[in-house]
Amino acid sequence: MQLKEIPVTGIPYDQIKIEKVPAAPEYCERPAELIPSANRAVVINPNRTCMPLGAMWAVLGVRKAIPFVQGAQGCTTYVRYTFCRIFKEPAVIATASFHEDAAVFGGRRNLVEGIRNLVVRYWPELVGVVTTCSSEIIGDDMVSFIKMARANLRKEIGPEKADQIPIVLVNTPSFAGSHVEGYDRASRAFVETLATTKGEPNGKVNIIPGLFYPGDIREIKHLLRHMGVEAIVLFDISDTLDAPLEPPTSVPYYPPGGTAVGEIRDMANSLATFALQPHAGQAGARYLERKYGVRAVVGPPPVGVQGTDAFLKALREITGKPIPESLLQERGRLVDSLADTLHHTMMKKVAVMGDPDIVLGVTRFVLEMGMEPVALAGGTASKTFVHDVEAILAEAGYEGEPPLIINGGDLFEFEEYLKKQPRLDLIIGNSRAVDISRELQVPLVRVGFPIYDRFGYQKRPIVGYRGGEMLLAEIVNSMLDYQYPDDRTQQL
Amino acid sequence: MKMLIEMMPERAGHLELTGLPECERQTLPGVISQRACMLYGARWMIAAIRDVVHLIHGPVGCAYYSETVRKKNYRVFSTALGEKEIVFGAGQKLEDAIREAVSLRPRSSAVLVYTTCAVGLIGEDVEAICKQASASLGLPVVPVNCPGFGGVSQGKGHDVAAAALLEHFIGRGPAGPPLENSVNILGEFDVQGDLKEIEHLLQRLGLNIICAVSGRATVENMARAHRARLNIVHCGRTGRWLAQKMEERFGIPWRKVSFFGLAETAAALQAIAAFFNRPGEAAWVEKEAEAARQRALPYLRRLAGRRVALFFGASRMGSMARAFGELGMEVVLCGSQFGCQEDYTESRRCLGRGTPMIDDAHQRELEEFLHRYRPDLLVGGTRERFMAHKMGIPFLVFPQETSPYAGFNGFVNMAREVAALVGAPVWRLGNSGFSRKEGEEMVAKYVRYMERGINENERSSL
Repeated sequence: MQLKEIPVTGIPYDQIKIEKVPAAPEYCERPAELIPSANRAVVINPNRTCMPLGAMWAVLGVRKAIPFVQGAQGCTTYVRYTFCRIFKEPAVIATASFHEDAAVFGGRRNLVEGIRNLVVRYWPELVGVVTTCSSEIIGDDMVSFIKMARANLRKEIGPEKADQIPIVLVNTPSFAGSHVEGYDRASRAFVETLATTKGEPNGKVNIIPGLFYPGDIREIKHLLRHMGVEAIVLFDISDTLDAPLEPPTSVPYYPPGGTAVGEIRDMANSLATFALQPHAGQAGARYLERKYGVRAVVGPPPVGVQGTDAFLKALREITGKPIPESLLQERGRLVDSLADTLHHTMMKKVAVMGDPDIVLGVTRFVLEMGMEPVALAGGTASKTFVHDVEAILAEAGYEGEPPLIINGGDLFEFEEYLKKQPRLDLIIGNSRAVDISRELQVPLVRVGFPIYDRFGYQKRPIVGYRGGEMLLAEIVNSMLDYQYPDDRTQQL
Repeated sequence: MKMLIEMMPERAGHLELTGLPECERQTLPGVISQRACMLYGARWMIAAIRDVVHLIHGPVGCAYYSETVRKKNYRVFSTALGEKEIVFGAGQKLEDAIREAVSLRPRSSAVLVYTTCAVGLIGEDVEAICKQASASLGLPVVPVNCPGFGGVSQGKGHDVAAAALLEHFIGRGPAGPPLENSVNILGEFDVQGDLKEIEHLLQRLGLNIICAVSGRATVENMARAHRARLNIVHCGRTGRWLAQKMEERFGIPWRKVSFFGLAETAAALQAIAAFFNRPGEAAWVEKEAEAARQRALPYLRRLAGRRVALFFGASRMGSMARAFGELGMEVVLCGSQFGCQEDYTESRRCLGRGTPMIDDAHQRELEEFLHRYRPDLLVGGTRERFMAHKMGIPFLVFPQETSPYAGFNGFVNMAREVAALVGAPVWRLGNSGFSRKEGEEMVAKYVRYMERGINENERSSL
């Protein structure tokens, strides 16, 4: 692949990545043995972040809930920055403000006083305590600290008020996994703490969407509405992280929506739990299955035709409701679009990067488009990822050059591999791939976490048939924009 | 005074109408703090240094977040510590990572190793490892000791990073006589081309910039920095300490100036010209300032009497308050996340008595202030932005996002953008004027109609 220096102003390569532009005299060939991330200790541009972020994401999907981060201020601030940039929403996350005294004596005072300060200032309906590497290394006994915080709260505001505010503990030592696992752990912690009794069956299904955006969750709700199925969406960020601008009449401001605590309690009584992203949400679904016999349906992500088919079929099987005409028409329109754009998508070389579930969902979809995957990079290492990718390739009858599968790893490896490829037409991934896409001069279609450099992707679905159409349009149009930069006459 | 906004008793002293607020205290646990950690401060200070390897020694999240500083992405190397290293020690991994990073980026002039909470807690001797690596690789390997829990805010991270620069880079080149007409700028980060504006002005005075810490700092130009005639301190919080130390060590005098606002810029240029003993060369300064004022005039008319609340990181409070004063706006609140005594003293001088100053305001306090007083503009960072938007209040991000604000041209940019922001139609659209109740009745009526039909009278009202 030929690499050129890019004459785009405003992209500060010359300042930050002089070594990556071969046209520059500073460019040098890398030692080949150090390119695969498995061969080195150093990690360069990781495609995953730490566990607490996933847990905070989850807590923000609960109605009037505030995450309380048991760690230093940066653990909160950096995540708030990230959420602000992605969702364009105020991300309200409290910090225990660990300073040197906490590092020496532990975080008990920070938690007990912190919970009290948070409650009297904000009156949340739930507090989600999220641990960090600091508190886990110090060895804070969080369970007993939370008991003390509760006792202190009862003393300060009275037992009735204090006991109405559940405190859910999510253990997320940052060094033990990625944000995907943080969300997964939160899904289990919430059902384990709140869904404590089995009662009357409610006839609903549980949906744990995983790290999908508000637009995706709205699309899932659209599918459910047309199926006539009532659902409890656990960690429903569709309103809390995409709220309207309507000057509030009082402070503190809370966004509308979110999963109510009562709904989470009711999850033990549902027909089944759908964990749409196997790596983010499976733990909660499995717990409900083991403890209360609520059937767990884990994946596949409802992206593309077959992904959405699988979701609807499982819904039909569990609820006994037929798939309505309206959804069949949506499906038909997506298949029609695939046919209509096939001459643009077939045989195109594509690289996909992102969280493992996004990569799995999108890979299946691009194979439906007749594309040929070159590299598939899941940012979080997973036991099942490689196997799942191979199964998807086999299912599609893919016979081309086998793609590079990166399980975990980092973006440096991904990038160096792509540079060596004779041809690449498209990268599908998150904003972290933007430098790679600019340097290789191929378009980037943005999906998954995080997208901080463009507007609107958090509101636009990739799931369901309609989401599939939108993603397909994005893919085709991005490639056309790149192929015909001075295009005035091109017709589809 | 206490009625301005509701403050918790522990926080009461942090809001002051006439005097100086309490500052440099630990943040109250459990609030939605706008402060960040030491690693954040260190990155903020030195992320822009180009020709070195930046290696974050800690769990993967610290490296992930450290990549983005002032909305720019930087390449970051990291040890991405896992459970194994936390339990059995991370020294070996750090050694390997340093060696590999250098072989993947062989033209680097140095390695900066940032520590994190996790490393601080497991008690690794990072300094010794760096020393050893430095000896075997033949280039400086510099520890920046910035565990997140250190200090009370990101401020201490700035200090530690500045100390590392002073200790290992600044003035390391061969000694020599001062280079004529040369200056350093300390505490200038070149946001959206600010540095170019400043450089342009200094060039008109016949001066060259050797090194700008850290908007335009390389190992090479920092090594020559000791030969400047004058240090110009722009951001006090990050530059003042360095300037004092460089004065002690190399005898370079310094001036604290600001290039935000017309009066400040003019005063800065005149002070610098006076230092170089050629007041004649600054003759154009007044003229330029006046020309800029003329260009900004149409915007100033639209801004006259509008009320602005300022909430910064630390030390731009005073100079920005003056700049907004020049826009004709009334500063109704001035605060910072981690300002120190000197910062607040300076801003009180600019603001006069009666303007509330707030230290380490958390989200709830700012929210309440906005809700009660509804200023025409809030200036702050990304974290405050979307809260302001939700309340329907215009918001300006500072450090700015679109164009340079420094110098005379920068002032015109600022006037134009602030005027456009404050006057934008969107803020009038926030309140729909629709009554929720009316809408609900309408829907109920419609549902009734759909269910069993309604009479003619009702239908016509639909």
